[in-house]
Amino acid sequence: MKWNIASEKFSADQIREFGAGECIAREGDESREMYVVVEGIVKVTKASSSGPIELARVERGGFIGEMSLLESLPRSASAFALTAVKVLVIQPGGFLVKIRRDPTFAFEIMQALSQRIRRTNEALLRAIDSGATSADELKRIVHRTEVRENDPPPQSIGSTAGSTVGSTTGPTADSIAGTAVKSNSPRAAR
Amino acid sequence: MITAVQADRLAVISDLHLGNPYSRAKRATIQFFDRALEENFDIVINGDGFEIAQVSFAKLAKDVPEVLHAMKAFTQRGRNIYYVIGNHDILLENFLNDWGGFKMAPFLNLQSGSARIRIEHGHLYDPAFINNPRLYEFLTATAGLALQIHPGLYRLWIAYEKLKSRFLWNSERALEAVPGQAHARDRIVGENPAFTEAARELCLRGFDAVVFGHTHHAGAVDLGGGAQYFNSGSWLMGCPYIWIDNGHIELRKLAQ
Repeated sequence: MKWNIASEKFSADQIREFGAGECIAREGDESREMYVVVEGIVKVTKASSSGPIELARVERGGFIGEMSLLESLPRSASAFALTAVKVLVIQPGGFLVKIRRDPTFAFEIMQALSQRIRRTNEALLRAIDSGATSADELKRIVHRTEVRENDPPPQSIGSTAGSTVGSTTGPTADSIAGTAVKSNSPRAAR
Repeated sequence: MITAVQADRLAVISDLHLGNPYSRAKRATIQFFDRALEENFDIVINGDGFEIAQVSFAKLAKDVPEVLHAMKAFTQRGRNIYYVIGNHDILLENFLNDWGGFKMAPFLNLQSGSARIRIEHGHLYDPAFINNPRLYEFLTATAGLALQIHPGLYRLWIAYEKLKSRFLWNSERALEAVPGQAHARDRIVGENPAFTEAARELCLRGFDAVVFGHTHHAGAVDLGGGAQYFNSGSWLMGCPYIWIDNGHIELRKLAQ
């Protein structure tokens, strides 16, 4: 139907698939798309005189290319699918639509950018304190903090070992309510 | 403020509305926390745990101290309570944070087993809350006065929502009339389909399941492609909760 064309063009609902090893985004490209990893693992690399350097690995929920979308700058690194990968493609025109429909998405992007600034500042201060302020070292710090590397690990609560104490499957007296939709293998396992 | 959490075993409860004239959740809440201590799991309060928007100060004074005491005992034994702020307790955010027993969050991205689960109150996706905030606030306050006079009016409200849902969104004619919604034949009775659509939108970016509260209608929806939407309901009538165990998610009701 014709009325679908505009909504499709600006729709944020574009899933793209890549096989292992395929290039998702290339350093220097002027594409303004950003990607959210839905399945699989993406490797982010940067070219150097001694060959590509791996900067980070981005897993489910992670973002790639947000700076290109927000600032319309050429890509600062390349992204390759390490495994079979599905990404949600967000184009500039659909970005605000996406935020309107999914407002916590904007919060998570801001959180990631805030963490990146903090890590860069901390790394630069450590380098200054240690005297390692050569141009190469500073470049390395900036490049390694451009991506979501070394995010603080999710806060662990409970423990797999601890759960063997007493009942391991939780309350049994409670009825299972609702439409009894039980999770099958999560999509990540496929 | 945390958002990323990893846990193997966790229960999600919401909309206790402790301090609301109709709330009867005090005993059940204390018992649930006692059981969580015995059975070694943590708890997420997914919004509107405490009531400010429709508060009865007498009810608040009667119910809350004992519940807070039970929660403090829970956290002092090394267990965690994650508190996701809702719309009825948003003014309490600083107090709850300063109280020190809760880990406050705007939402949680939970990794449990190999599943990635979003836990969020859900009021941001309520068309009434977003499109008409002042009217929503006025109606909420008015309803609070009505509940002070006759708390049983709450049951009438829930029955009305279920009836409206059946006529507006669950009839065959309604499904055909709205493009794109004809395929979404599974939705929670009583709830605006906007919540299912919001869950679907979230699952597009790598969540296996979404858990909302806010609507007071507990239920579960298969979104297709392995994705699921759960609502943890409300403890104003019954005690539903979402049980998460190594990525396996179930809607349960507390046996009372």
